[in-house]
Amino acid sequence: MASDDINLLVIVVDVNPIWWGQQAQRETELTLSKCLDAVMVLGNSHMAMSRTNKLAVIASHCQDSHFLYPGKSWGAGDSCEEDASSSGDGKYELLSVANNFIAEEIRKLIAKTDVTGNSTDTLLAGSLAKALCYINRVAKDHEVGQETKSRILVIKAAEDCALQYMNFMNVIFASQKQNILIDACVLDSDSGLLQQACDITGGLYLKIPQKVALAQYLLWVFLPDCEQRAQLVLPPPVHVDYRAACFCHRNLIEIGYVCSVCLSIFCNFSPICTTCETAFKIQLPQMVKPKKKKLKQQT
Amino acid sequence: MDEEPERAKRWEGGYERTWEVLKEDESGSLKATVEEILFQVIESHGQVRLGMMRHLHVVIDCSRSMDDHDLKPNRLTSTLKLMETFVDEYFDQNPISQLGLITTKNKRAEKLTDLAGNPKNHIVALKKAVDTLCVGEPSLYNSLNLAIQTLKHMPGHTSREILIVLSSLTTCDPANICELIKTLKALKVRVSVIGLSAEVRVCTVLTRETGGSYHVILDESHFKELLMLHVKPPPASSSSECSLIRMGFPQHIIASLTNQDAKPSFSMSHLDSSSGAGLSLGGYFCPQCQAKYTELPVECKVCGLTLVSAPHLARSFHHLFPLAAFTESPVDGLQDDRVCQACQGELKDKTAFTCPSCRSVFCVECDLFIHDSLHCCPCCLHSQSPP
Repeated sequence: MASDDINLLVIVVDVNPIWWGQQAQRETELTLSKCLDAVMVLGNSHMAMSRTNKLAVIASHCQDSHFLYPGKSWGAGDSCEEDASSSGDGKYELLSVANNFIAEEIRKLIAKTDVTGNSTDTLLAGSLAKALCYINRVAKDHEVGQETKSRILVIKAAEDCALQYMNFMNVIFASQKQNILIDACVLDSDSGLLQQACDITGGLYLKIPQKVALAQYLLWVFLPDCEQRAQLVLPPPVHVDYRAACFCHRNLIEIGYVCSVCLSIFCNFSPICTTCETAFKIQLPQMVKPKKKKLKQQT
Repeated sequence: MDEEPERAKRWEGGYERTWEVLKEDESGSLKATVEEILFQVIESHGQVRLGMMRHLHVVIDCSRSMDDHDLKPNRLTSTLKLMETFVDEYFDQNPISQLGLITTKNKRAEKLTDLAGNPKNHIVALKKAVDTLCVGEPSLYNSLNLAIQTLKHMPGHTSREILIVLSSLTTCDPANICELIKTLKALKVRVSVIGLSAEVRVCTVLTRETGGSYHVILDESHFKELLMLHVKPPPASSSSECSLIRMGFPQHIIASLTNQDAKPSFSMSHLDSSSGAGLSLGGYFCPQCQAKYTELPVECKVCGLTLVSAPHLARSFHHLFPLAAFTESPVDGLQDDRVCQACQGELKDKTAFTCPSCRSVFCVECDLFIHDSLHCCPCCLHSQSPP
């Protein structure tokens, strides 16, 4: 591995305000600010591992996904230098700038956005799509001779949204094609979509047993990159349920019927496909027609 | 003599009055008509029925003309290399389809690989075929006949296709090929040809009658382009039957040595291969007959059920719901700050692309990436409406 390789880590944090609000009422051990502290620790460690490592953090909300770091005004970095010199504890400037940036942006995001309408699900597929576009741009911007290796870490809090299935699968196949790993760190309930994503792209899936130790799990499991993971003993892969869900009842089925036109899956045979409305040919048993006796025509 | 509708060759047609096509508007500018002509070509696909389950036979010409050095190092090596890329892309875009390879030389046709759904065998066979001697003449009749033997048994809802890579200008047939063309038409087989030398009349008739496409390559990159055109599923003919196909979705059992119930077993897919793959603990078990397989998609040898996993079907979804093309607009006309909403980069180029449904602005790189790989607009995903 050449030392010039750029290692880009994109962290997608689920900041669903409804889930975090309920979490604050249930137990005060893990709050959103403590979660973001753990994320900042991971981000700092990643950037400290090598000079060429890069970081990006995206907050995934119900309304929108927002880039916490790097920000849009990153090009004109003059305003950030004053904050850096004020850290005063001898920390590497880049790390303290990043931390301040992330803290500022998340504060603005939570204060600014309201939850309107019925949308209570985190827009994870959208955030992953934006992450892939960002990785694509960074990979194109590098100099000749430098390779870019990227991976995405998803920190998931709320439950899955079944509506995003198709977009999620598109994102997963796109990242598999670009050799981008998707790792998942799940705080609360198991997510089938993320299990499939980690299995298909070759990443790690972990459901954290104790939420308090989030920073510890992040540093132990998700900090090493793909070459180093081969030499470490990490949590074993989970059993992924690849059974399809039928379109009529949303049950998981082992044997089903697939429409040859639109590829929708049904658990029972039906003469018409409900998605594309094609009528199917049914093999009917042969009917034996009774022989008609011809009447003699009276001439 | 020619009653069939032949496309007249360019040198046969009369004078084209090209100046009459362009019309000036009141200020004397031609811009409007030029744009009209350009954008007539770009059509949206809409909801067209596509043949998702494809059975494709590829016939590769291994005759004497393949030894020619106009493609480096010779035509055969270059063709086989491009075929390997084609096989990978084909199974990536059509995971539930099957592919078979046939070679033709010395007035005979031979099967290189059977119709199968696993790309590995095909790639191994292609790598070995680089050493074959290019000798003799190809036989179109024999290779088409060989392909029909397997294709005619395929069920009606799948699309039956043959792709011929023909470099020779001659063919040696034992019987009348026009009869064979009639048979192909009756069996609804679609034959396409990629010519490496020049246009041959019998191929033109063959592809026109069966509804395929015929192209002749200009150079190696054009060859790759033409091959990749055949990766996308073709529009299904209106006469193909639509039916419900019974498929199984087996679970992947990962068993470790410490698990007491795990029993080692043979995988059915390794019965035919001589590479002595032995007992293994985990795998996919057919839900109907419990036969074990190591990889999907596969057709169960015991009970005939097609075994797939849900992501395989999901891979083909983007063909059915294609993403609309984004509209181009100059950057100077934008009021907001010039940032691409997908990658957060500055819009450096002259044109920006706008998604017609969510009106977000993207840069050129993101537009290319979204349409080639991602197949969904990142900002439309934020509107929370079901797809």
